[in-house]
Amino acid sequence: MKKRVIAVLMAAMAALPLSACGGGASTASAAGNAGELNLFIWTEYVPDAVIEQFEEETGIQVNVSTFSSNEDMLAKVRSEEEGAYDIVQPSDYMVQQMIANDMLEELDQEQLTNLGNIGEAYLDPSYDPGNVYSVPYLGGVVAIGVNTDRITDEITGYDDLFNPAYADTTVVLDDTRAIIGVTERSMGLSMNESDPDTLAEVQTKLLSWKPNIKLYDSDSPKSALISGDCTIGVAWSAEIALAMDENPAIEIVYPEEGAYKFIDNWTVPKGAKNYDNAMKFINYMLEAETGQAVAQEFPYLNPNAAAIELMDEEYRNNIAKNVPQEVIENAEFVENLDTDTLAILDQMWTELKK
Amino acid sequence: MREKKSGGLSRHTFRSNTLPALCMTGPVTVWLIIFVAVPLLYVAVMSFCSIDQNYNVVFRFTAENYRRLADTNYIQIYGQSLLIAALTTAICILIGYPFSFLIARTKGRKKGLLYMLVIIPFWTNSLIRIYGWRTFLGTSGWLNRGLEALGLIDEPLDLLFHRGTTVLGMVYCLFPFMVLPLYTAIEKLDRSMIEASEDLGARRAATFVRVVLPLTAGGIFSGSIMVFIPCLGYFFVSDILGGGNADVIGNLIERQFQSGNNWPLGAALSITLILITLLLVKLYQKCGGDMESLGG
Repeated sequence: MKKRVIAVLMAAMAALPLSACGGGASTASAAGNAGELNLFIWTEYVPDAVIEQFEEETGIQVNVSTFSSNEDMLAKVRSEEEGAYDIVQPSDYMVQQMIANDMLEELDQEQLTNLGNIGEAYLDPSYDPGNVYSVPYLGGVVAIGVNTDRITDEITGYDDLFNPAYADTTVVLDDTRAIIGVTERSMGLSMNESDPDTLAEVQTKLLSWKPNIKLYDSDSPKSALISGDCTIGVAWSAEIALAMDENPAIEIVYPEEGAYKFIDNWTVPKGAKNYDNAMKFINYMLEAETGQAVAQEFPYLNPNAAAIELMDEEYRNNIAKNVPQEVIENAEFVENLDTDTLAILDQMWTELKK
Repeated sequence: MREKKSGGLSRHTFRSNTLPALCMTGPVTVWLIIFVAVPLLYVAVMSFCSIDQNYNVVFRFTAENYRRLADTNYIQIYGQSLLIAALTTAICILIGYPFSFLIARTKGRKKGLLYMLVIIPFWTNSLIRIYGWRTFLGTSGWLNRGLEALGLIDEPLDLLFHRGTTVLGMVYCLFPFMVLPLYTAIEKLDRSMIEASEDLGARRAATFVRVVLPLTAGGIFSGSIMVFIPCLGYFFVSDILGGGNADVIGNLIERQFQSGNNWPLGAALSITLILITLLLVKLYQKCGGDMESLGG
């Protein structure tokens, strides 16, 4: 997941959960001597209360560090000495890459008694067959938000976004893979194409989208939708869910072509010093009640099916928050591409944005 | 007797200049080496590196990064960036010149007040002020609501996310950098020169073009340099107000260091930006610009 937060705000936000956890941690370690656990997780992604409760229940002291991109995380894990972190939280394609680089420890399935709480659509993923190294936490899909007050036609898929009638209406993620991926899906292609001739066709289609795109924004695409500056949005489902809460005219559309999806995961890096505590934590996060607490705070796609059952009807009926199973099954993950293909994608993106 | 005298003298003068000179300039030199020279060298070396399959920078020499800079898309963005910078500078001069004249010619408390008007916005972070503009100019922002309430428009004006909005944001951010050197130059202007020109029969316009303008040209030059150069790099202004439709060179660099994950290419872009800056400063010196007025 590409979550680019303005540096200034990020520094402030990162400091808050850190200090909060630090405070909770010292009291917990005084209470019991169950050791510690070093988490390396996304900013604003795991509720503080959830971590504090784990400390209370187990007496384990939890230390939290945060990152805001998979690539930053990878670089940090590499540069730290082995064993600095017990749990890291990579997205799908990054799990694949870390497995390929022999950076992850296998998970002890025996200790993960709550794994059954995860919905079937999320188990045995393509990036980690059999969930040997990873367990899903939260995710999302790139959906379409439509302001039905201003756009009266029915939008059913990514392909409709290219309609010239929607000139100067759309806010899209400022994310190369997501936006080129959306274009590829609209043509019935995979988001992981690498053939140069195919990509040349994708480029033509991508450029035909340009007149419609008014704003590129990954930080808060919901803002332009809520204010009405943009009437169509291509953004993460959670962002659209928040926009729908603010502006009832906004509706969410899952593309019929199959969406772009991402899942962030719990993994244990090689050489983790507190392996058993890590297993305890992952199993705790898999509990239905924990999943419920997470879902109440963050409207991301939540793979914990048992937790969803505990949620109220309003949440369960909101398809932006409780993403339907068939959407997940039809959606596709991005995969790592070779550097030559990435150079082509970068050139396409520059051409779009010039 | 003679020896004693020379011994007495040596107490007051140093035998060599090396030690005191080293003490005075040493700390600054060390500072500059650690925080300017080394990072710059690091960026320069990185611009010739490659990335491997896992986005790691590897030290395998290549000029590929520089070759990619000649891509037509990049050249168009450099052009757009230079255009935005030129427009911003021109607008800053047009608004800044009369305003600086006004400050220089006012006396007493009013002068302090005018000066403060330029300085006060600095007290708030520019990122927040730029977000303020976005809220103000939006479809449901105060400007559109105000104009609708006055009955001047029926439909909200589409003001955000254009090249013009980016220029507006740049002018807003960089205006003080134009006013301060201009003010210094105009303040120094000798009134008797203008009087002499008028006594010799020049009309007001002729006095302005042939006396005032040449005498304050230094201020215009240094103000222009201080506005033009940051304009090439202020990616957050074009991000927030241009909405990604009016990228400047700074956006290209930011993208390669963040989402693009190609640090060597980003480094090559940075080096290019540094070279453009150096070229402009050289040009400024050639035109008779004074380096000291850039510092103040």
